Amino acid sequence: MKMFRKFAVAASALTLMASLAHADSTVRFWYHFDNADNPMDELVAEFEKQNPGIKVEAENIPWNSYYDNLYTAIIGGNAPDAAMVKMFAQPRLVEMGALEPIGARIDAWDGKDGLEDNLLNLTKAADGETYYLPVQYVVLYLYYRQDMLDELGLKVPTTCDEFRDVAKALTRDTNGDGSPDVYGFGFRGGKGGHDHWASFTLSHEGVSLEEGLTSDAGIAGTQYVVDLFRQDGVFPPSAPNDGFQEILGAFKAGKTAMTIHHIGSANGIVEVLGDKVSAAPVPECGGGRWTSFGDESTAVLSSASDKDAAWKWISFLSSPVNNARFNEATGQLPVVKSDAESWSLHPQRFVKATVDSLPYAHLLPNVSQTSDFVNTVWPVNMQRALTGEITAQEMNEKIAELYAQ
Amino acid sequence: MTDTTVPDAGPTGRPLGRRVLPYAMLSPAVLVTLAIVFFPMVQTAWMSLHDYVLFRPNHFEFVGLDNFRKALADEVFWISLRHTAIWIGITIPAQVLLGLATALLLNQDFPWRPLARALIIIPWALPSVVIALMWVWIYDSNYGLMNDFLLRLGLIEQAVPWLARPDTALGAIILTLTWQGFPFFAVMILAGLQSIPRSYYEAAAIDGASTWRQFWHITLPGISGVLVTAILLRMIWVANSFDVIFVMTGGGPGYSTYTLPLYAFVKSRTNLDFGYGSALAVLFTLLLMVVVLVYLRRTGKAVSR
Repeated sequence: MKMFRKFAVAASALTLMASLAHADSTVRFWYHFDNADNPMDELVAEFEKQNPGIKVEAENIPWNSYYDNLYTAIIGGNAPDAAMVKMFAQPRLVEMGALEPIGARIDAWDGKDGLEDNLLNLTKAADGETYYLPVQYVVLYLYYRQDMLDELGLKVPTTCDEFRDVAKALTRDTNGDGSPDVYGFGFRGGKGGHDHWASFTLSHEGVSLEEGLTSDAGIAGTQYVVDLFRQDGVFPPSAPNDGFQEILGAFKAGKTAMTIHHIGSANGIVEVLGDKVSAAPVPECGGGRWTSFGDESTAVLSSASDKDAAWKWISFLSSPVNNARFNEATGQLPVVKSDAESWSLHPQRFVKATVDSLPYAHLLPNVSQTSDFVNTVWPVNMQRALTGEITAQEMNEKIAELYAQ
Repeated sequence: MTDTTVPDAGPTGRPLGRRVLPYAMLSPAVLVTLAIVFFPMVQTAWMSLHDYVLFRPNHFEFVGLDNFRKALADEVFWISLRHTAIWIGITIPAQVLLGLATALLLNQDFPWRPLARALIIIPWALPSVVIALMWVWIYDSNYGLMNDFLLRLGLIEQAVPWLARPDTALGAIILTLTWQGFPFFAVMILAGLQSIPRSYYEAAAIDGASTWRQFWHITLPGISGVLVTAILLRMIWVANSFDVIFVMTGGGPGYSTYTLPLYAFVKSRTNLDFGYGSALAVLFTLLLMVVVLVYLRRTGKAVSR
């Protein structure tokens, strides 16, 4: 027994020493950058220099399983203290009680007025609280091959009807082997492709994910996409499975003449295609335009051990100069006005296409079902519709069913 | 701290220490197995009886067999089950036949035989994810080797998007898995072949038995024990493996390459519906158990005959 007591005393002494040595706090931060060669280490070093006593452990989590990992880490009690987060995940994170409200901190923060207008409103939660601090943004637009349009004497399509004609004309057999080797549009049928579909469907008047999807206008939107593939053959045959890498690869390789994505891929595309590529807002379909607002924010998690330190770190990332540095790595646009004004990382035509698209930019509904819509319901049903297993109406009904829950 | 018991002789006459020793030495392994295999299994069974969605951590409601009822009425469950049956039913026989042929070839005398034996194991030694990515490129409709090859041979007129068509996607993945798994059979069967004494064949040859009869009456019975074990192991692995499918198509297009383990994974990990996902996993385990038991009974009889 004596022995045990000695042990206990020694152990508690050790623990005490450890905690004394650990008076500094550590912020565990999760982020996702496609680019492995990113400036996070420099940002961390800069921050630690400015804030002695706070250590930042930044971890790059692969995008494909980012949210799976985040949710399971939260449930498992091993969540990071702060993390990069998107709006579609907000309802779930709020429902899990995983987020720390930071509205009061933002109000007291001197960087607040320097943020681009309206961003804080867009990222507000359904319960009226603020949990997110924007860190970058993009708007999706149409990439097109200027050289191919010029060659055929075509204009950039501004409506869905024009889009269809242009896409058909651009789908060509250039090597004479009897099958097309350039396709009009690179459609993303795999996960993440809902943005493409939404531009052709949710643009219709009175149609949104939560209502009107099964109306004639809603079904016409989906039917239009299915027809482009099945009747007109303007998507590559692999479209049902294609993800981001595939559509981008095909566009860069000249296999497709148009696609939809954001400024994040502009520099990579220009590197290969140079002046042959340009961009414009997505076409108007069914009486309106709809494009996706690609948001990215940071948040403090409610389980954070030192919330002040975590807040200091995330507000550091959305401050002038640092925010520009952050976005140089992601290739997206800074949320800080002064950084945006001096922005020179992207060719002007892509910044213009982004700004021109802003009036039509939308977020997906701020409800819990959106995660399932993005991850499974949309991809599975779009693929089934594209391969003819179900009709456009059945696809829209499945989505409506999800949102009716 | 006080248990310094005197070793006494038990009813069998052996000292207690000797009787306890096997348990003591086995217990670490048993404890680890209990902790990392048995406990999660029980937990899965327990979760399958609840309505448990991960992003509603405070909502853990007992619903009895509701999840199972829901599964049996779920169209995707039946699609996945059908695919799982096709998946096992084609992959295993194809791997066995290919493995058998390879083993018979490798059992012949020819120069560089050791090298050939080493090379044949490569597909088996590669990680599944690498194999999956490799085959995604082989099947690619723009740059893929498969399309190029078939086009040159004139077997197809235009490139086929093998993984993007519902009628070819599952077959394409089955081919990949067959390629990955046949070396396992080749190596196992080769070991079995080498344990058959040469004198059997010599005696049969003297009696005038044809090569086919020698194969049927000497080779096949000689390797049957190995074959039964190898098929059983492989059946369980193939049934459970979804990494190759996950990387190659993620289950798509639509549900065309969904198998039950993949469906259970997507339900729990992506949709975070752990209750329903667990129910699917439990159902699949039970079904697989039935298949394994039937297989063992039938082959057990055949082998011992």
